[in-house]
Amino acid sequence: MATVTPAPPSTVPRSQPPGPASSRLARVRRSLLRPKTLIVAGVAAVIGYLALVPLYYLLYGTFFDADGFTLGAFGRVYSADGIGTLIGNSLWFAFGSALLSLVVGTTLAYLNVRTDVPFKPLFFAASMIPLIIPGILYTIAWIFLASPDIGLLNAFLEPLVGPAFFDIFTIWGMIWVEGLHLSPIVFLLMVAAFRSMDPSLEESALMSGASRWTTFRKITAPLVRPAIVASILVMTVRSLESFEVPALLGLQNGIYVFTSQIYFTLRSYPPDLAGAGALALGLLAIAVVGVILSNRVGKDSKNFQTVTGKGFRPRPIDLGRFRPVAGVLIILYFVATVVAPLAVLIYTSLLRFYVAPSAEAFRTMTLDNYRALAELSQAGTALKNSLILGIGSATLVMLFMSVAAWIVVRSKIPGRGLVDHAAFVPLVIPGLVLGLGISFVYLRSPIPIYGTLFILLIAYCTRYMPYGMRYAITSMHQISAELEESAHVSGASWWQTFRRVLLPLLSPGLIAGFIYILTVSFRELSSSILLYSPGNEVLSILIFEQFENGSFTVLAALGVVMVLTLVVLVTVAYKVGAKVGLRQD
Amino acid sequence: MPRSLAFAAAVSTAAAFFLAACGGSPTAGPADGAPEDTAATHTYQRINGLSGQQRTDELVKCAEEEGKLSAYTSNTDMDAMIEGFTDTYDIEVSVYRGNSESVLQRVLQEQTARYYGTDVVDTNAIELNVMQQEGLLSPYEGELRDAVREEGKADGWTATRFNAFVIGWNTDLVKPGEEPTSFEDLADPKWKGRVSMEIGDVDWFTALYQHLVRQGRSEQEALDLFKAVAANAQIAKGHTVQGELLSAGQFAVSVSAYSHTIDNAADKGAHVAWKTAQGAAAQPVVVRPNGIGLMKNAVNPCAAMLFVDYELSAGQEKIAGANRIGATAEAAKALDGLEIVTVPEPELLNNAKKWDDLYAEVTRSGSA
Repeated sequence: MATVTPAPPSTVPRSQPPGPASSRLARVRRSLLRPKTLIVAGVAAVIGYLALVPLYYLLYGTFFDADGFTLGAFGRVYSADGIGTLIGNSLWFAFGSALLSLVVGTTLAYLNVRTDVPFKPLFFAASMIPLIIPGILYTIAWIFLASPDIGLLNAFLEPLVGPAFFDIFTIWGMIWVEGLHLSPIVFLLMVAAFRSMDPSLEESALMSGASRWTTFRKITAPLVRPAIVASILVMTVRSLESFEVPALLGLQNGIYVFTSQIYFTLRSYPPDLAGAGALALGLLAIAVVGVILSNRVGKDSKNFQTVTGKGFRPRPIDLGRFRPVAGVLIILYFVATVVAPLAVLIYTSLLRFYVAPSAEAFRTMTLDNYRALAELSQAGTALKNSLILGIGSATLVMLFMSVAAWIVVRSKIPGRGLVDHAAFVPLVIPGLVLGLGISFVYLRSPIPIYGTLFILLIAYCTRYMPYGMRYAITSMHQISAELEESAHVSGASWWQTFRRVLLPLLSPGLIAGFIYILTVSFRELSSSILLYSPGNEVLSILIFEQFENGSFTVLAALGVVMVLTLVVLVTVAYKVGAKVGLRQD
Repeated sequence: MPRSLAFAAAVSTAAAFFLAACGGSPTAGPADGAPEDTAATHTYQRINGLSGQQRTDELVKCAEEEGKLSAYTSNTDMDAMIEGFTDTYDIEVSVYRGNSESVLQRVLQEQTARYYGTDVVDTNAIELNVMQQEGLLSPYEGELRDAVREEGKADGWTATRFNAFVIGWNTDLVKPGEEPTSFEDLADPKWKGRVSMEIGDVDWFTALYQHLVRQGRSEQEALDLFKAVAANAQIAKGHTVQGELLSAGQFAVSVSAYSHTIDNAADKGAHVAWKTAQGAAAQPVVVRPNGIGLMKNAVNPCAAMLFVDYELSAGQEKIAGANRIGATAEAAKALDGLEIVTVPEPELLNNAKKWDDLYAEVTRSGSA
């Protein structure tokens, strides 16, 4: 279909017939009160509000000091010693990690969704595990595996390749850990994209004699371009902001990145919020360019709209004789990236302190750490609160962002691009600044939510809005407008169309976003720590406490429990997701 | 066009809602215009003036009438303390736990907005000094404070325990007889790649640096010594990670480990120590007080004071039980016979940037 996509008829007001002013006013009032207008305006207002609160706080703190307007913070942080190297390291690290996670995430998603690869359900949950393990534990597990001094892999391979074959304390080690840790974000985005793909195009290519690789390169990859661009965008910004991996692996050998600088500005009292703001605005500039580029790619929408009026059933490709090969490769991959670090964690959680595996270590193993965990005063409350917040924020964000994605991709409302940019803003705001901004507002607001769980819910929704938006928009790009038009022609209202046509079709993306937010919300610390109140503890606070207290082995036990809990939740979400929306054979 | 109208309306509603919520500058200074005397300060003064059994009786009666206490803390061993307190008194305690920076930011935010969320704050010296400077604390006096070591009697707050920065080592990697006896030892090339420094220990650095200068080194010589040690060092982030990696053998020595991190690990059987078999430790040991302050705007001032009493009396045993160093001479026995250097808190508070930058310069030269 090559016609220009018209907006659904009701969205473009027809030329107003002349009439008495009163009837026009009544019409305006009627149209203002329509569910569609109310919902669209409501969602735009909420996004604007959530993004503006921390942004205003950030901008004010960056540009104003006691004497009024100033650009001093920019001069201060961007002229710091060696800032060039920092930015260079950061970009190298960010692009490297983004590329690694893109390749890994896309390959896994393709195999999982589009082929008849073995061990699928296990495969889905396992793909998520690197994201579920708290970053600090995942990174330390890798130190235990691949440090040149104490790495188990190095000890294991020494007879073959000589000592210290792997060195995790290099930029390559940093890229490896960060790229793997973040690959589930890409995996989820690409799973959603591949699920909504009409396989007939690939089949035609294969039948016309193209090889599988050519088909992937020429047909499959271009069809999911919006998802690829969204992945690169989110991953690059995420890695630019990442602190755990550079702090634990980079500092060791003096590899400093952009965020080390943010750490230094916020470390001492008074925290240099202006400096942190100036750095965050640098990231924001990169992000805005990225959002613009990503929407430009999405613009030629017809090219990616795989969900059209034409019926199709996504059918997995038969891997044929490659099936066992793919099976072995997957097992190898999971052994290297999931099983090994997870095994280190489980092993550590059974010890009283970490030592390299030995007969003696195995003899002294104990469940004390799990017992200590069960005795922690707030463990139960924290788990409950984390579940409420995770499920609550994931649901709210995905519902709101599905409407927001409609506004940005489908509507012709002037200023719709702003909604997109606003939804992306929180991605670059440091957690501490977000926490300060939110507590500032609600300590003064007549709405009495300071000290309740709601303030955390607001923080989480703000924090995860950018991810929700990318997931929703990417899916929206794949859905052709003709389906909405048909619904509308058949007499459905906008709301009915949205609920009965769009939401089910968007569901692969919405579920993927839901799983992502649920997973990462379990470890949100930087704004939770400022905003929670006694009685509203969340799991990440417990993790932090154990960490501060030096109870590393208890922390490992907590990590194992979190992985188990979330694997169950993710599997349930996956099963539910497979039941709604597009049916697969 | 109604639709763009709707959009404009939405945006302006959001903006109005937001501005209404904020009002002024979001980074406005601290509790400006906080009254000098509050109901709580009157109570504090009254109790401070009493002594002996009369004070205790009065305080317990008043505190149990209040029935509640809110404490903000960065003290990670707080659980045992609270348990002991609630077992002894009929008072319900709620605790906010965070790192010292969060505790400070939260207190400043709340007090500026005249939201009085906490009665006492138990955290690190530097954050307590900031609160004192901002006029948020009220003095605590009495016999229990008199018994605290001199380093712990600060303006506006009282130390309840000390963190001691010691040189710790892995006993598998550092053989008996090879142990460092001073910081200077670690500049020797034989320690190349075997030492670890922590990226955030500015307070330890400042104390030791000034100590070296007092001993007769020039500023340049002191800095050169740090850089020489850093050249042998791997840089770690966080004492917990550093402690775990020391037990695991990633490096042989940490230059600024907490004594309790090492002692707790050794108690579990890890091969780490900060004293030789003969009981000798590398000197000097840098100590930093952690303490507790009474909030000027406390809602439960008696419970707050009673809690400080508890921390300085029965609570001292709980502190010692966690391998920590208490604040009273009795509870700080672990420091006996050691050369002690105290972290120069006022200097760190007034010249934070100078020391931050200098220490960043030192750690940056570390790349073993």
